Amino acid sequence: MEVSNDISFDAPIPGQSLTAELGGRPWQQKTKYTTVDETIDYYMERMSSEEFMVQVADILESGVPVTTLANTIQMASVMDGIHSIDVGMLVLPMIMEMMMMIGDSAGIEYDKGLEDPSKSEIRDSLFAKLINKYEKKVKTADLESTSEEVVEDTEEEVEKPSGLMARRT
Amino acid sequence: MSRQYNPAVSAYKRMDLDSLPEEKITEGDMSKGLLSRANKSNKNNTGLDYSNPAVRVAKQMQVIRKYRDEINGSK
Repeated sequence: MEVSNDISFDAPIPGQSLTAELGGRPWQQKTKYTTVDETIDYYMERMSSEEFMVQVADILESGVPVTTLANTIQMASVMDGIHSIDVGMLVLPMIMEMMMMIGDSAGIEYDKGLEDPSKSEIRDSLFAKLINKYEKKVKTADLESTSEEVVEDTEEEVEKPSGLMARRT
Repeated sequence: MSRQYNPAVSAYKRMDLDSLPEEKITEGDMSKGLLSRANKSNKNNTGLDYSNPAVRVAKQMQVIRKYRDEINGSK
C-alpha cells in the first residue's frame, strides 16, 4: 500500500472526538423528532418552501445526483439532532422522491444517481478470459485443412485522367 | 467518475412502489357516521400493516410518485 507523504492539516487529530463533553454535541442529545411520521411532516414542510425548491433545483441542475443530495440533507439533520440516523434511513427514499418531483416540476434533466457508473465498464478479467479462449482456439485449429487460397485483390486501379481537360465523372 | 457507497441508492431501490396496493375507499366506509365505531386494527382492506414505518413511508412516496407521473404525463 502506498503511503502518502503529504501532511493533511484538515484531518482530525486522534482523540479529537473525545474533546467535547459527552452530550455536548447535538447528535448526542435526544432527537427533536422520534417517529417517522413526525420526520416526514418536518421534511414535507421544509421542502415545500419556495426557497428550498429553488435551491434544490439549482443544485440538481449543476449535476449533483439526487441520492447524494438526499443523503447529505438527512445526514445534516442527524448532526443537528433533528432525528436519529435510523429514522433518517427510513425517510431517505421519500426525500429523494420529493426532490425528483421538484426536478420534474422545474423541467430539469437531473441525475438520479441510481445507476452504477462502473457497471458499463468492461472488466479486465473479461478481457483476459476472451484472450485465453482465443489463444486456445488458435492452438487447436487445424491450419492445413482449412488453408484456402487467398484470392488477392488483383483488380488494378484504373488510372484516372488527371489533366485539366479531363472529363469529370 | 467513481462514487462512494451511498445508502440512499439501496434504500430507494428496495421501495417497491409498483407492487404496493392502492387504497380504495369502499361504500361501507363512506356511509359511516362520525359516531360509528372505528376499525382499530392496523391492517386495512389492502392488507398493509401500517404499524410498519416503512409502509407509511411507502404510502407517502406513492402519493408523490403519482404527482410526479402526472407532471411527466406518463400515466
